[in-house]
Amino acid sequence: MIWGYTAAQFGAVLVSLGSTVLGLVVGYQAYRGFRRNDSRSMRYLSVGLVLLTAVSFSLAFFGTLLLRLQVLPAAVGDPLRLVVRLLQFAGLAFITYSLYSRP
Amino acid sequence: MSDDRDEAELLALLEDEYARAILAATSAKPMPVDTLSDRCDASESTIYRRVDRLKEHDLVEEQTEFDPGGHHYSVYASRLRGVNVTFEDGEWSVELDRRPASEEDVADRFTRMWQDL
Repeated sequence: MIWGYTAAQFGAVLVSLGSTVLGLVVGYQAYRGFRRNDSRSMRYLSVGLVLLTAVSFSLAFFGTLLLRLQVLPAAVGDPLRLVVRLLQFAGLAFITYSLYSRP
Repeated sequence: MSDDRDEAELLALLEDEYARAILAATSAKPMPVDTLSDRCDASESTIYRRVDRLKEHDLVEEQTEFDPGGHHYSVYASRLRGVNVTFEDGEWSVELDRRPASEEDVADRFTRMWQDL
């Protein structure tokens, strides 16, 4: 047990954190691609990646933490999950749109 | 031989003082045409003409410089480190010592890859 988490839960958080960092690296390069090449599609790709990784992870992580510490009422749990899923969906929608937007 | 003609053209280009000045200046760091114009004491159109010829022989490479104001401009970098002209066995030949081409920026490569999908 680490800070009230099982080893598997803790491992999952670490891997998600790793995915977030990698997502931010790719998102940052996409943003640079947008700035350097005035590429609309790279802007949407960058926004999509950041929503999909950093934003949804941070919300899920801190939301769960606040729920555990009972700062937030337990009833917030399901809506929170919905919002996280919506953010991931929006991220993927941005990435899909970036594939079809020109140039 | 067409190779001979290429090599003769190359030597003719290197005979030009502005071409040499451009190669020397851009061996230190990539420069835009207006900077080269000051450094080499030549008009911008002269620099453009020389740079075009140097590019034809792959002696300079063009790179795009990103400006935070959103303005992109070209800079030129020398790829020529040395020239070796050999006269031997009744023949002459030219050997070039080139610098490796600069690595493309990862963001530019990513943009190209994504746009090509």
